[in-house]
Amino acid sequence: MREIIKLIDVVKIYKIGSESVYAVNGVSLNVSEGEFLCIMGASGSGKTTLLSLIGCLDRPTSGKVILDGIDTNKLSERELADVRREKLGFIFQQYHLIPTLTAFENVELPMLLKGVPKLERKRKIMKLLEIMGIAEAADRKPSELSGGMQQRVAIARALANDPEILLCDEPTGNLDTKSGEVVMRLIKEQNERGVTVVLVTHDPEIAKYAEKVVRIKDGKIIAEGLEAIY
Amino acid sequence: MYFQLAFRNLKRNSLRSSLAVVGIVIGVMAIASIGIFSANLKMTILSNFQNVTDEVLIYPAYTLHFRHGVVTTSSMMYIDRRTADRIVKLPYVKTYAFVKSTFTTASYRDEVFGVRVYGMSKKAVNRMFKPSSGFIRLSDSCVVGYDLADRLDLRVGSRIEVEGHSLRVSAILKKEGARFDVNPNDAIIVSLRDYDKIFNTQGKGYNFIVVWVNSLKDVSLFKNAVEKTINGRVKKVEVFELEIIINKINKIYDFVSRFLMAIAGISLLVAGVSILNIMLMSTLERTKEIGVMMAIGAYRSTILKLFLLESLILGMIGSVIGALLSIFGGYIVDIMILHSTKYLLSLTTVYYMFEGAFFGLATTLISGFYPAWKASRLEPLEALRYE
Repeated sequence: MREIIKLIDVVKIYKIGSESVYAVNGVSLNVSEGEFLCIMGASGSGKTTLLSLIGCLDRPTSGKVILDGIDTNKLSERELADVRREKLGFIFQQYHLIPTLTAFENVELPMLLKGVPKLERKRKIMKLLEIMGIAEAADRKPSELSGGMQQRVAIARALANDPEILLCDEPTGNLDTKSGEVVMRLIKEQNERGVTVVLVTHDPEIAKYAEKVVRIKDGKIIAEGLEAIY
Repeated sequence: MYFQLAFRNLKRNSLRSSLAVVGIVIGVMAIASIGIFSANLKMTILSNFQNVTDEVLIYPAYTLHFRHGVVTTSSMMYIDRRTADRIVKLPYVKTYAFVKSTFTTASYRDEVFGVRVYGMSKKAVNRMFKPSSGFIRLSDSCVVGYDLADRLDLRVGSRIEVEGHSLRVSAILKKEGARFDVNPNDAIIVSLRDYDKIFNTQGKGYNFIVVWVNSLKDVSLFKNAVEKTINGRVKKVEVFELEIIINKINKIYDFVSRFLMAIAGISLLVAGVSILNIMLMSTLERTKEIGVMMAIGAYRSTILKLFLLESLILGMIGSVIGALLSIFGGYIVDIMILHSTKYLLSLTTVYYMFEGAFFGLATTLISGFYPAWKASRLEPLEALRYE
């Protein structure tokens, strides 16, 4: 299997006042294409920072983040935006939909940024909303949707440009158990279709969907495999 | 879609957006209305001179004096008759008037008063002035200006005495606007023959000549001809084109209009500050959204464009409304100050409407740039985490 994500001794230091905080402290990690990786850890453990580094939202202080064979350190800001748009899909705990746009338009946004033609956009958005089971909500604004539905719109948006990697930051954190299960099943379905998933959570129930689990504490991987879940 | 997104973002806080638009409307309207008014003021003033632009005045070279805007000549100095005849035979001359003029005392009933007396041919008087009462006749008669008649209570048939000569008033002229050739309002006009009789100036030549050329472009040609043939060896006459005055007036009023518009521009400046303010607030409120846009792959330049577009929409709406309302504004100012709106519907009005709208748009773009730039410089991760 091809290694789609490769982290080599990644360090991220934040300066808070005069103090240096090691948010990520020497993490090395490989994720194969089509794998489902779960990063577990308590809040403040550095798991979200790690996800941001994989997601090209931030650059490591040292070490390398290699996506699909590309060393992201060598990319310009504009090229990083290209990677985020073409290869990555983000799902956030807070959904982060644009409140002024309808569900349809929220899903449309990444395609617009990519320059997908109008007809193709329309066809694909409706298909994605159908897969997510929210086709009837296409014309509604986020404020008119339940949390579970908003998160499903967000998943559809993340999938809009056929990403190779889906990055999920506590995707069920704001949802009740039932909506959470729906969301997780949808993410798992994408994984089964071949999309690589990296998911960050503190919830052991969610980790069960993953085939590979790492536990992180103080910016370091402290356990791998089944023992990392609990 | 970008347009839609921008438009919706503005609608999200419609009161704030409307107030910003109102600011632009007021600014654009102030500038354009004042521009329109100044242009109309200029046109009103120029209309007084419009009929004298094909006129050229010729004075003896060494006797040109200006006093209170009126050209006066020393009574000792004349354009001799031979020179005068040569001038009016030059090409480009359509018609002309020889004028003799002096200041003297006259009396009516028991009242003695200082008055300007012109000697002119009947043809010239007819060409230049219209009577408000009576008929223009100059043999042993005179015509008097409107103000003089009004002050002395003169009627057609009244008799005034000038230097011992009794003259019958044959006509009272209509009130004239400011002129640079003959100012009849406070004057008496007699025939050249009577003038010579009264003032003993037979054979002495003329104080000045008014020449009308065929068309405006002939003015400079005629002037050149005079310089060459009359002033060739000795500078005998001074040529005074009224076009110069028109140009001067144009310049002065353009300056006045720019000055007034600059003052009106302050209101646009205030509107610009309000745009700056609301766009900065909007940037702050939407920090997280900007982070999301960046996370899904928007370039910084895309964010910049989106925010600029929002300012531009505000500016467009405000400028268009402001420009349209400026016709109304111009109408009111014209009515109040000029008491006439006959120049309102003209090309210059359209010009100032466009100019106002242009300044409105420019202001919003300038003041919208900083917030847009600031939004585009946010770090994606920090923006996403912003609470």
